Amino acid sequence: MKALIIDDERLARKELTNLLQEYPEIDIVGEAVNAEDALEKINSLKPDLLFLDIQMPEKTGFELLESLDNVPEVIFTTAYDEYALKAFDFNALDYLLKPIEPDRLKDALNKLLKRAQPEEIGEVEDKKLGPNDRVFVKDGDKCWFVKLENIRLFESDGNYIKIYFDNFKPMIHKSLNALDERLDDRSFFRASRKHIINLTWVESIESWFNGGLMVVLRGGDKVEVSRRQAARFKEMMSL
Amino acid sequence: MPAIINLIFISALGESEEQMRRQQFEAIAQSLIPFLVSHFVIRNIIIKYNWLKVDLGKIVSRILGLILVVALLSSLLYQLFYLVSRSTEYINGEFFVQVIIDLLTVSFLYVIWCTIYFLYHYLESNNRSLKYEAAINEMQLNQLKSQLNPHFIFNALNSVRALVDEEPAKAKIAITQLSNILRTSLIMDKKRVINFNDELNTVRAYLALESIRFEERLKIKYNIDPRSNHFQIPPMMLQTLVENAIKHGVSNLVDGGIIEIKSICEDSVLNLRIKNSGQYVHGVKKPGKKGGYGISNTKERLKLIYGSEARFNIYNENDKFVITEVRIPQGI
Repeated sequence: MKALIIDDERLARKELTNLLQEYPEIDIVGEAVNAEDALEKINSLKPDLLFLDIQMPEKTGFELLESLDNVPEVIFTTAYDEYALKAFDFNALDYLLKPIEPDRLKDALNKLLKRAQPEEIGEVEDKKLGPNDRVFVKDGDKCWFVKLENIRLFESDGNYIKIYFDNFKPMIHKSLNALDERLDDRSFFRASRKHIINLTWVESIESWFNGGLMVVLRGGDKVEVSRRQAARFKEMMSL
Repeated sequence: MPAIINLIFISALGESEEQMRRQQFEAIAQSLIPFLVSHFVIRNIIIKYNWLKVDLGKIVSRILGLILVVALLSSLLYQLFYLVSRSTEYINGEFFVQVIIDLLTVSFLYVIWCTIYFLYHYLESNNRSLKYEAAINEMQLNQLKSQLNPHFIFNALNSVRALVDEEPAKAKIAITQLSNILRTSLIMDKKRVINFNDELNTVRAYLALESIRFEERLKIKYNIDPRSNHFQIPPMMLQTLVENAIKHGVSNLVDGGIIEIKSICEDSVLNLRIKNSGQYVHGVKKPGKKGGYGISNTKERLKLIYGSEARFNIYNENDKFVITEVRIPQGI
């Protein structure tokens, strides 16, 4: 597993490298000293795992994640950041408090390696985002790592996109067109100018005015499919 | 209380011995009644209608009215008492004269009683509110006393952990410095002001630790007036400002920066000046970042300790440096 260590302090990076020497399965492919440096190295080295400090000069660890389309596994390392950590209260996300306890590191890595294995079988070498990929979403003080298969619906709202998953509807600053291009169209369908739906969440389909369709998603959300898209939809869905 | 006044009155006006004895007996009765009345009737009415809380000017007529009514009732009560104790027979008109004399005496006593009563409560509540204010001040001051940033402590410990392998000697020094800072920050809670040099030593230890963390990204300069130690400053105040300068300045810059601490002594004023790389953005905080209270706390602390004699100022010197200035008077 290729790992990248991102921390602005040399000694902190060194300390983590020392601790990781016991784990031959973790291959440290590089170190980054700030978010910009990290972005470059993520694109060139394609790590599977980031050890990420939250407080860094100019851009925080969160801001770095927001700028990534496809987020690798992340383990946060932070000295003390109750606000940042509170954001993840309900996430199965891992973080390590500096100075890092070797036992905690072991737990985090075990959990990660266990989780990573079954996924690698079904992984497709495709640039598009499939249902198993995860995105980092931050809205105000709250953060989520969402698996795309859990997202029912993307709804555009001005310059923002509202993301529907579980009981949450956080907003991200992005255009629906840009998002549509990144999404795998075997799982996601552009229902209209305003909506992209997750096809695995479709519960029932009804005819609607003007030759359009009304799609009901599991959970009760209703989305209208425009006439033009309805034709494509039928074509795609039929054998 | 009124009984004593009455007795003094009577003995001062004393005539013959027999008359005096009789008068004294009467006086005791005469005093006992107003004493009981004022204590039970007037006081209860004042408490019941909450007159103590009302502005005195507004209720003075009501009090006088009350006194008049109660005085009339008690002077009638006297007459009853005279009839029983002396079996005096009134000559025509004497009854009314007696009633009016008693009425005036009793009213006078009640007025005195009310004055003392109100005065006492006024002073008491004034005293209480002063004490309350002082307690609040003290409490605020305690809250404002800055605490060491935990982020710093754990980052420092993390650096030390890495140093143990790399440079054990440096690691040892760092541990001593960290424990010095922790010790000072614990003692500080109990003190209002400390010697400037004590504070400066904490700052030096702090910056030494931060330079282990930031390495070549942090450059430190001191420019200290040797007379500075004649001054006392609030504990952890300079430390907080330096911490802020690092947190919002140098630590946010990819290439790091400088911090310069300068002290200048005038006759009875100590001027502290901190210069650091970065930009001070008033009021606007980066979204998602936690806003600190360092500056407003410092201002508030200075005001509570020195009143208007202390001064605090933070501004951008140019687009590279921020200046923080504190002016501290000698003595409190």
